[in-house]
Amino acid sequence: MNRIADVVVVGGGVIGCSVAYCLAKKGVRVIVVEKKEGLSFGASGANQGGCPLQLFESPVLELARESGKLYKNLAEEIGCDIEYENVGSLVCSVDEKQYPDMEKHFQNKQREGMNVRLMEGDQLRKLEPTLGEDIVVGVEEWDTWIVNPFKVNYGFAYAARKLGTEFLFSTQVKKIERDKERVVSVITDREKIKTNFLVNAVGAWASEIGKMLGLTIPVRARRGQIIVTEPVPLNERWRYILDADYLTTAFDLAAVEKSKDPRIKLGVAGSYIQEKSGNWTIGSSRDFAGYNNRVTMQTLKYIAKRVIKFVPRLKDISCIRTFAGLRPFCYGDGLPILSKIKNPQNFIIATGHAGEGMTLAPITGKLIAELITENRPSLSIDAFSFSRFKNVN
Amino acid sequence: MKKKVNNTICRCEEISEQEIRDAIRKFNLRTVDAVKRLTRAGMGLCQGRTCTPLLTKIIAEETNKKVNELLPLSKRPPVRPIKIEFLTREE
Repeated sequence: MNRIADVVVVGGGVIGCSVAYCLAKKGVRVIVVEKKEGLSFGASGANQGGCPLQLFESPVLELARESGKLYKNLAEEIGCDIEYENVGSLVCSVDEKQYPDMEKHFQNKQREGMNVRLMEGDQLRKLEPTLGEDIVVGVEEWDTWIVNPFKVNYGFAYAARKLGTEFLFSTQVKKIERDKERVVSVITDREKIKTNFLVNAVGAWASEIGKMLGLTIPVRARRGQIIVTEPVPLNERWRYILDADYLTTAFDLAAVEKSKDPRIKLGVAGSYIQEKSGNWTIGSSRDFAGYNNRVTMQTLKYIAKRVIKFVPRLKDISCIRTFAGLRPFCYGDGLPILSKIKNPQNFIIATGHAGEGMTLAPITGKLIAELITENRPSLSIDAFSFSRFKNVN
Repeated sequence: MKKKVNNTICRCEEISEQEIRDAIRKFNLRTVDAVKRLTRAGMGLCQGRTCTPLLTKIIAEETNKKVNELLPLSKRPPVRPIKIEFLTREE
């Protein structure tokens, strides 16, 4: 069977569905192709739903801030409760040596216009008695929000479908047909789809789609492991607590490379979120294991040991589930790729969000839709251009 | 008007049959995993050990499929709840 689309989006994660929805809103006929039998099979279904504004630096920060504005009215717009909550965040340290780094972090965030406050351990424990004795210093901020990632992903799909977007499940892209300058059609294991544009939003698998066009997309699957606990009464002040090491393991590749600490090598730094239901999700880790999305006892051990330092009472709480997911990590510079490419000129890449896909999904959809329909996004995405990888292609 | 069905399917999370059917229809769900993720049915302390057969039956009904045609619920450790402290132990 042959189909015709204005845009084919490959990937039914939160990025693909946001792009599809934003295009559908502009009257574009979209077909989403997803190899699995549902949505959220990659990183979108294996994260904590946290959008930690104080962790980002320019140029991601600008995108995150715009995304935050879009998130505020998203539930109403797409007709789906996404459990959006403005919970703020606390980044804290259990290492005296990190004190100067935390002060610097605080000053940077202040300079960026964020409403931050630096507090000593005793002060933090007064406000949140569940925090551990080892915590020496922390920075709180109140712009951070959390969402239910599944509801965001399925919510975008729901709204897109209402606007005429078609979803093809259990359908895998096998080949991409092109002429000299353009993609002409996408061939799946079921059918051929003629299309004017092709969007690569398959996350950690992005390089596979690139290969079909002879392109090297410098994205690898970076595994992240998370522990889920039974519900317990809600924390008084902070329900989103982050380890200062997160700034290293998530963003400073050179420092991870240099470190001799096996915990840092596995990318383990605390990221703890208590959902409205009372359950905690306890992360986080980063390692490269191909497409293996299983948890490992070694990493879980480091994650569990770490959380007991920050929130000691969690040691007696039950873990009911663990999971791992694969995030699209751009090994060039860790930044997303949101870009058209020179040739084929109707091929768009929207991936490489690493751990920030849920944060950046609304703005990514908006900008990619503008890139396709108006050729000029309302916010500069030059920093995320594919042309920055001149040496790989 | 159709009568609402109020049977509780997931006891851990207290999710009713109606909530599950509504979610399947609204979000076009086809797998037990997807229903779990959207409704929380099967997300509680027992991790779906009690309600999965019921959930599967409801999804099969709603999607006009046979129970054995549906993908099984994905299994993740631990098999039974364990204390976080247990995870920190060295082998």
